[in-house]
Amino acid sequence: MKKFRILIKYEWLNFRADRGLLILSLLTLMAGLYGIYYGNTEIVRQRENIADLAQLTEHNIDELKQKYPGEVEAGDIGYYHSTFAVNHPDSWAGLSLGQRDVNPYYIRLRLLNLQSQLYDTENINPLKVLSGNFDLAFVLVYLFPLFIIGLSFNLLSVEKEQGTLPLLLSQPIGLPLIVAAKLVFRIMLVLGLALLLSLIAMLWAGVVPDVRIALWLGVVVLYCLFWFGLAFGVAAMQQNSAFNAVTLLGLWLLLTVVIPALLNVYVAVKQPVPQALALTIEQREEVHAGWDKPKQETMERFYARYPQWRDTTEIEGRFAWRWYYAFHHLGDVAVEDLARQYQGGLLARHELVDRLNVMSVPVNVQGIFNALAGTDLPAHLAFMQSASHYHDSLREFYYPYLFKQVAFTHADYEKEPRHSFSSGPDLDTAFSGIVKVLLSVIFVYVLGVLFLSLKETVVK
Amino acid sequence: MIRTIAKKEFISTLRDRRFVSLSLIVLLLLLSATIVGLHSYQNLQEEREVAQHTVNEQFANSADRHPHRMAHYGSYAFRPKSSLSFLDFGLDSYTGASVYMEAHRQNSANFSQAQQSTSLIRFGEMTVAFVLQMLLPLLIIFLCFGAFTQEKENGTLKLLLSQGVSLRQLAWAKVSGYSKVVALVVAPALALASLLIFGRGAFALDGDLLLRLLLFILFYGLYFFVFVVLSVVVSALHQRSSTALVSLLGIWILFCILIPKASANLGANLYTTPTRAQLDADVHAEVVKGIDGHNSQDERAEALKQELLKKYGASSLDQLPVNFDGIWMAVGEEQSSKVYQKHFNRLMGIFQKQNRISEWAALLNPYLAVRHLSMGMAGSDFGHYVDFQQKAETYRYHLAQELNHIQATQLRYGDKETRLSSATWGAFEPFEYDTPHASWALANHMISFLGLLLWGIGICIGGMRLIDNTKIV
Repeated sequence: MKKFRILIKYEWLNFRADRGLLILSLLTLMAGLYGIYYGNTEIVRQRENIADLAQLTEHNIDELKQKYPGEVEAGDIGYYHSTFAVNHPDSWAGLSLGQRDVNPYYIRLRLLNLQSQLYDTENINPLKVLSGNFDLAFVLVYLFPLFIIGLSFNLLSVEKEQGTLPLLLSQPIGLPLIVAAKLVFRIMLVLGLALLLSLIAMLWAGVVPDVRIALWLGVVVLYCLFWFGLAFGVAAMQQNSAFNAVTLLGLWLLLTVVIPALLNVYVAVKQPVPQALALTIEQREEVHAGWDKPKQETMERFYARYPQWRDTTEIEGRFAWRWYYAFHHLGDVAVEDLARQYQGGLLARHELVDRLNVMSVPVNVQGIFNALAGTDLPAHLAFMQSASHYHDSLREFYYPYLFKQVAFTHADYEKEPRHSFSSGPDLDTAFSGIVKVLLSVIFVYVLGVLFLSLKETVVK
Repeated sequence: MIRTIAKKEFISTLRDRRFVSLSLIVLLLLLSATIVGLHSYQNLQEEREVAQHTVNEQFANSADRHPHRMAHYGSYAFRPKSSLSFLDFGLDSYTGASVYMEAHRQNSANFSQAQQSTSLIRFGEMTVAFVLQMLLPLLIIFLCFGAFTQEKENGTLKLLLSQGVSLRQLAWAKVSGYSKVVALVVAPALALASLLIFGRGAFALDGDLLLRLLLFILFYGLYFFVFVVLSVVVSALHQRSSTALVSLLGIWILFCILIPKASANLGANLYTTPTRAQLDADVHAEVVKGIDGHNSQDERAEALKQELLKKYGASSLDQLPVNFDGIWMAVGEEQSSKVYQKHFNRLMGIFQKQNRISEWAALLNPYLAVRHLSMGMAGSDFGHYVDFQQKAETYRYHLAQELNHIQATQLRYGDKETRLSSATWGAFEPFEYDTPHASWALANHMISFLGLLLWGIGICIGGMRLIDNTKIV
């Protein structure tokens, strides 16, 4: 044990003397801090934007009150009044932004048919989203492996190349102890940095302290151990530093870039979602055909679904709001199946990726981070669901005014339901992901030990 | 002598089993990326063509309707994939595929690939451009990192120099030898790509497409050249192969991973993007100040009313020879479109400011330069996206105005009942999108073009000067 401590101490002295490694560590630290800062500003900005939406709604109501100083038909309000379904970020969202920058985090809704409003997008700079987010998850998933590779690609080979390995081995210590000491020192350094950054990020974001702290830190530790395992396995092959560097970078490239890109292609082919365009075309056709169909026929179809309004007055004349909103809703009903298929297809895509991510630990870990932060595709789909329900509740709110022909007054604005949804974590995905990471780590170390025992130590 | 050295590098590289297997992997990836790219291109293209055809047919064969109903019915613009986008998806996966074009309202482009994907897509997509931009430089680094260091380590550098070759000549000889190797890896894939483009008759052979492809290949050629020279120069500056390799890998990580992401993020952080909701609200507020398409109570509508009554010497609107409904809606559309254009341009200006950071960074980073140029040539860059949106908006505006004109001239004031026959709609030209010319695409990327060019020239002059001063020992 004492020998071990001495070895660690000398590793530390070595590290302190090596300017390159110090710079590398400092760069990683700075990248991590920038990632934390960036992720937080993004989420703060989203929160501010969401807060501004309430003002826009207020403004819209003020305008309508001015436009209709007295009582007014609820149909006019439903047409001109817009409100928002909002997806509040989880307190963890800043640590791993996931798909929150690609998918809109609010949906502007009017009483009109839902399907023409549900998929509107936010102003997004495509070049920015293509480049991706420089958040803490990126630093941990992408850059930390490079940091680990930079620290350990010449774990043993450097001693060999400098001719110090024979000297070391001439002391009463074995090779395994040297390797272990070197690894342990580097692991402590990397884990120290990774955990420090994670804790800073959690404090900065002011996360709700729950089981996720343990899960996040656990994943970080396992992920770093995974890459150390790879570095250990490659070092065990006892080749020169250049070979190690190329092999490790090749592995990094394979796991973080090539396999994910290939998986993406596979998923797109295996699980296509062609319903989107059909859905958008179909719903327009249905809604606009509503104008041309006999009113009684439209109302019959509507009453079949909502018999509680059947006994209201008959539609007469060219136009009535309740008929207008009835055929708008029937437009939604007509594409119900397509909409369900579309969302089901997206969810199936996510599940497919969830099954395939054993092939790449970085994909898996990114998935876990996103699941913990509530920023993945299922979180967005849950928001869409919630927005749809909100639209239902808006219709329920307005239907009595429309069908019983109750006038809408200024006091009624306040009674209108408001929407709020917060993306939550998906702990099941996170748990099953962690199990897979753990298995990967064990696999890598077993492989490394196997290499080491198979290969005889070549000192010269 | 120089030719001999170049030949020696070429041949000895081909004998290196490790390098050959790496090259084969890259070549395989290139070929599969070509095929995968074409497959996904055809899928998306077909999907959008079918959708466009469907909505065009629907419009042309619409039931008898009131013209303003048709204006609300509107149409869709589905963005066709540009012919070369199968080589470089660029921004296409992150931009919306369909725009709903209706009266009074400009809608966002919806249904991007990224929205239909899990976060997997954020790891990058397997395209030819991806292999060429990211993986080939790595291959070049593996190829060239020992160019000088190996000669130094083996003690052959002194021998070579004693033959009367200068360091500079030696460097050029190595560059030319390695360039041939790179060409050998890339050429088959590009040949296949060209063959697929022109051979299968999938695309009409037109000059613009050819020019784009040629420029595409040219830019990548220059990019690889920059990396070859850069690697040789770095190798000359180091004494040991391993340190040369590590330095080059560091440069690669900086160029291909860190700078692109950091510059794009920095841009977005510096210039705040207004939300769509805010933009809509701003447009609305400004339009209300003017004329409201549905509200003739408005002051400006009143003024227009008085003006027309005076002009035709009529006492009421139904005595006018033209339909006031159509006229005031046309005026309203004109005004709201103008306001929207102003705000849309402001938004695009903000995006461009954000992107400017990446563009200027291209002067420092050849990867960014070639990325922009590649997307530009493939027709999947920001400029082409904005161009599509603009053309869709132009079409929308004219569609709405033509329908307003029909209402103004063929229908009487206050007439909400008359339905014009289906044949009226068949006479409308459907939406068609033509990709702008290659020169336009290139003009959008002058900074990146300059960046790549400067890198090419700079590395030849500056790099060689560095080599002159290298220590021979």
